[in-house]
Amino acid sequence: MIRRPALPPETLIPAVVLAVVLIAFLCTPLISGKALTTFDVYNTFQGLAQLGLLTLGLGVTMIAGEFDLSVVGTYALGGMIAVRTGQSSAILGVVLAVAAGATIGAVQGGLIARLRIPSLPVTLATYIALLGLTSAMSGGLSVTYTNTGATLWIDRHFASIFSTPSLVTLAGFVIAAAIFGGTRLGRGVRAIGGDRRASRVAGVRVERTLVGLFTVSGTLAALGGALYSYSYAAANPNPGLQPLILAAVGCLVGGVSLAGGRGVPIGLLAGALSVALLGQIDAITAIPDYYTELLYAALLGVIVAVDAPGLRRGIDRLRARTATTRIQDRRP
Amino acid sequence: MTAANNDHSPVMAAARDYPGGQASADTVRPTPTSAAGAAGRFLLWRGTDPLDIGIVIVVLAVIVTGALTTRFFSVANARAILASTSWVGITAIGATVVMIAGSAVSLAVSQTATVVAMIFLATQQFGLAAAIVLALLSGVAITALQGAVIGFWTANPIVLTIAAGFAIGGVATWISGGTTVYPQVVRFNGLNDTPLGLPLAVYILLALTAAAQWFLRRTTAGRHMYLIGENPRAARAAGVPVGRVTVIAWAIFGACIALTGVFLAAFNTSANAGLGGTLSLDAIAAVLAGGTAIGGGKGSALRTLGGALLISAISDLLLLRGFSTGIQLLVKGLLVGFVVIAVHVSSTRGRR
Repeated sequence: MIRRPALPPETLIPAVVLAVVLIAFLCTPLISGKALTTFDVYNTFQGLAQLGLLTLGLGVTMIAGEFDLSVVGTYALGGMIAVRTGQSSAILGVVLAVAAGATIGAVQGGLIARLRIPSLPVTLATYIALLGLTSAMSGGLSVTYTNTGATLWIDRHFASIFSTPSLVTLAGFVIAAAIFGGTRLGRGVRAIGGDRRASRVAGVRVERTLVGLFTVSGTLAALGGALYSYSYAAANPNPGLQPLILAAVGCLVGGVSLAGGRGVPIGLLAGALSVALLGQIDAITAIPDYYTELLYAALLGVIVAVDAPGLRRGIDRLRARTATTRIQDRRP
Repeated sequence: MTAANNDHSPVMAAARDYPGGQASADTVRPTPTSAAGAAGRFLLWRGTDPLDIGIVIVVLAVIVTGALTTRFFSVANARAILASTSWVGITAIGATVVMIAGSAVSLAVSQTATVVAMIFLATQQFGLAAAIVLALLSGVAITALQGAVIGFWTANPIVLTIAAGFAIGGVATWISGGTTVYPQVVRFNGLNDTPLGLPLAVYILLALTAAAQWFLRRTTAGRHMYLIGENPRAARAAGVPVGRVTVIAWAIFGACIALTGVFLAAFNTSANAGLGGTLSLDAIAAVLAGGTAIGGGKGSALRTLGGALLISAISDLLLLRGFSTGIQLLVKGLLVGFVVIAVHVSSTRGRR
């Protein structure tokens, strides 16, 4: 007797989480006593822009069964390069930041794919090195972005709820969703995450795909960092682990499994949006920080339980045992 | 698992600061037939790990640069290096045990150390011994609980410890009200003593390293940890109590984190939410720089001590030569990356 859930977890988890968070967001006036405005929605999308590209980059590597911890380092470096080189021309800064991110991602991806090294230690080393590089570039201090024209331009409101960074972020998700849904690549990436050897036998170009994925994650992280530091008119040499942790939460509530082989870009978008909404709920209701921390802990705790094979085995065994006793009970 | 160090040269033998037991792939080596191989044999370098060569190069580079740097080779500086290794080193020893047992890493270390420090400071009025015992117990309980979920339910350690980090941090802020914790009475001054010119934490670190080394090599539970890290399915099939052994590994980790927390508290004399700092990643970096494999089944406490000392020595050297913290971090990252790649290449040679 095998019962299958009506929806696969990669759809179910993000759908449920997003629905719950959205309802909570719509209920915030009950606590704050003020009606929601379009500015709250705008801020939510700003939050999405802050973490969305990072989530997408981390997410695509997680779908392939890897974990790119260095994204938060690339994020910091991208912001720093953009601010340092983009004082006169914002576009030049973004281009250089993205080029650096892509290079770092490609080198890492090459090492991980060709030598078949686990990605966690390699990307951890890269993360430490990149933080050092960013800090060395700025003398360890925050660097101000003086090009106010660019900052104003970047935070223009579109349709009163979007800005350039949030539109770029959404575009990134749409493109990723199109590629994952419309080409063989999406299935290939999931296959690599599910069973690498089998996917290689089945003809998936594992090495090339992995290098591509790490290049994408580096590029997206650097782009996200550049847009963020333009928007805040400053680059922070050490954003800490918090952006990475929140992006990982976004991925996990977006239906991606750390074991790999599961997840779609739209789920990642739902996950990132949920995290952004939670941040905005925080800001509107001014509830103490630890509520959010405990909420994240509970959310991840549920995901851990859903994803733990040992727990599932234990439940199956228990169910089998009760079924046997029931049959034995029925005997005269 | 046999001791598989084929030391062909005295230089290499001296450079190996870790005794055998590393389940390395260098037991079987294809005999080199090329001219380069013959040259290699002549130089007695045949069958040497790229890892060992790499470590020797790094250590030699540090020694040479150190000799050219004023005050690097001085007793005061050696003390400074040891002292700066001690806190991260103590946690890293625990992290080594967990990594060997196949649970990879914990991202909840900083929060755990912070909470333990708060508990230690808040219980000072019960006396130093009681405060230390309470701190250790809470560290062990918090961390062993995570180990139980990982060991018995095969939960993903990264996701679980991120969740645990949020939970621990959240509960700590909730109880402390988000303020800094100060002790009512100060009984911990003894912990900041420096017998023979070295902080007490250094002696604790050395004792812990020896104890962990003995535990991993000589006890059944320790040997089981290598087996679980090497191949959990085989371990289960062989009748190893995977869940229980994993909990033991995490309990040891918890005790190590708690010790670091106690020393952090005694040194800072107060504790706020940011006390743990970057301890999580610093500890992982030390373990990886020592050459313990992230996948488990390989490594040792002595290697971690070596890795932690190497990181401290290089940071100290760069500091003496006037480089910024950024450059120190950059070099640390490159060192960790280099060792990770060398360990991987040397352990999979012949298999690929």
